[in-house]
Amino acid sequence: MKRYDLLTPEGTRDLLFEECAAKRAITEKLTELFKSYGYSEVMTPGLEFFDVFNGKVRYFPQETMYKLVDGKNRLMVLRPDNTMPIARLAATRLSGEKLPLKLFYNQSVFMVNPKNSGRDDEFTQSGIEIIGGESGAADYEALALAAKALAVCDEDYRLEIGDNGFFRELIPQLGAKDEQEESIREFIETKNYPALNEILSDFDSGAAESVRKLPALFGGEEVFAEAEKYMFTDSLRARLKALKALYEGICGICSADRIRVDLGLVHKKNYYTGILFRGYVEGYGRPVLSGGRYDKLLGDFGREAAAIGFAVNVEAAAKFLYAREVKTSSPDVLVHGGRGAEAAALRHCEKLISEGLRVYHSLFDSPKCAAEYAKENNIRRVDTVSADGSVESTEV
Amino acid sequence: MENRKVRIALTKGRIENKAVDLLEKIGYDVTDLRNKGRRLILSVPGEDIEVVLAKAADVITYVEHGVCDLGVVGKDTIMEHGGKFFEISDLGFGKCRFALAVKKGTDFYKGYGVKTVATKYPEVTRRFFEAKGMDVDIVKIEGSVELAPLVGLSDGIVDIVETGTTLKENGLEVYDTVAPISARLIVNTVSMKLKQERISEIVRLIEENCDDKNN
Repeated sequence: MKRYDLLTPEGTRDLLFEECAAKRAITEKLTELFKSYGYSEVMTPGLEFFDVFNGKVRYFPQETMYKLVDGKNRLMVLRPDNTMPIARLAATRLSGEKLPLKLFYNQSVFMVNPKNSGRDDEFTQSGIEIIGGESGAADYEALALAAKALAVCDEDYRLEIGDNGFFRELIPQLGAKDEQEESIREFIETKNYPALNEILSDFDSGAAESVRKLPALFGGEEVFAEAEKYMFTDSLRARLKALKALYEGICGICSADRIRVDLGLVHKKNYYTGILFRGYVEGYGRPVLSGGRYDKLLGDFGREAAAIGFAVNVEAAAKFLYAREVKTSSPDVLVHGGRGAEAAALRHCEKLISEGLRVYHSLFDSPKCAAEYAKENNIRRVDTVSADGSVESTEV
Repeated sequence: MENRKVRIALTKGRIENKAVDLLEKIGYDVTDLRNKGRRLILSVPGEDIEVVLAKAADVITYVEHGVCDLGVVGKDTIMEHGGKFFEISDLGFGKCRFALAVKKGTDFYKGYGVKTVATKYPEVTRRFFEAKGMDVDIVKIEGSVELAPLVGLSDGIVDIVETGTTLKENGLEVYDTVAPISARLIVNTVSMKLKQERISEIVRLIEENCDDKNN
């Protein structure tokens, strides 16, 4: 029989020392940021009912979720996403609370990745959800916080803004069938120009020309002027104008060269209803931050409310940006008591700690082993304590 | 993070040769690429570009993880492996197709019995028959798939067909086309955004110089 008692499951791992410190440093900084803007922390269970992730506008492919059954034979999943549970929470236990709600979280999500893909099946997300609120101000706040959250990961970040409303408005005018719509969406998302051109060659409306152009409309401010040529209805033009205003507003808060736009952002998660954004840093091949507006999701849980939020992939941020900088430092003093002096040694530890020092309490019998340990672990001072409480200090 | 060169992954073999021709046509110095010996990372003198040689599926993996910015890989591998990246352009070379082939004279779609299909590309095969609403048993074969129907393991095969000579010599024929194939230029989604100017420039040069593009 093959036993797996010495391994962690694929896609998971043990984090040690510096890795923990890096991850904690990121979550602490993000927590501090969210709290400074008056957000309240929530925690939701790691186990949720399957149905939470399987509604009309909250569909998660079932093959990507870890599933199990509870004692009553009901289907459960390990939380694959943080936004659904928080929407559920806002619509149920927080239903008496007045809107807007400003919530943040630091918790893991779980997903089944293709095997040997080198991706994490469990990783931590830190993020916010703004539920309710006038959409204009909420968009600004979410984006400003996203920019600040990215700066925590790396000063040289890029925050990219889009709006999948362009796609949603253009599609009905195109008159594409459902299955064509999904293909078109996919080709826009993957900037697959040849395939997009081919599928759109069956349509010859102005909408087709605009749809064809969407994935190529990305970059800096110049995108807006170019995009204007393809926005042929008042509603599309108004949407573009709103996005431009938002872009300019955010550029006024952060440095403009950090902010990008991509009108080809069309997220697969179909609960997004308006602006979408993503954050990138050098050295990580996928977005470290992603978010957007989801005005229909709360309604799906029975409480109509507009909402916007984002999540930072803490593992990615920690792994690529902090691991090199964060060092776990050694304790300041090794305190050795030895037989008969155990209590005295611990009392001395307490005293040193109260003075603001970090101690390592020796578990060795002989002072020689203790001194060797101090030397190997870069502890500069050794305090030897006798049963009567007298202390002898030596520098290593 | 240090600013590394723009890294292009090429699929070793025929696609590599065509791609190197293309880079030469653009005006890049490809001496290193032509005399590579056993090296796997090659430089392009005078440019901030380096070239990586890898197996097709690995090109996708490297680009997906962002350790290579661009990649040249066949549509066959993209269809089988999938992945998240921008599939920017169809380079036009490496043209062939995925086809369903059977023993000469057999009618694969006739009858209700569940058919068996041998292939090196189980994902492509599964999706093709799923779209047709047909139940088939798929058997993964690593080597010459043509053997499977001949020895009676399967009713048909799904494989890459270029000229059809191997099929003909073994008494098989194309029964249906599954999908056309050609070499594609893929780009990592983050690189595209972080190095937009440089990458757009390279993509433009590649597109302008790939002559088979509209054949």
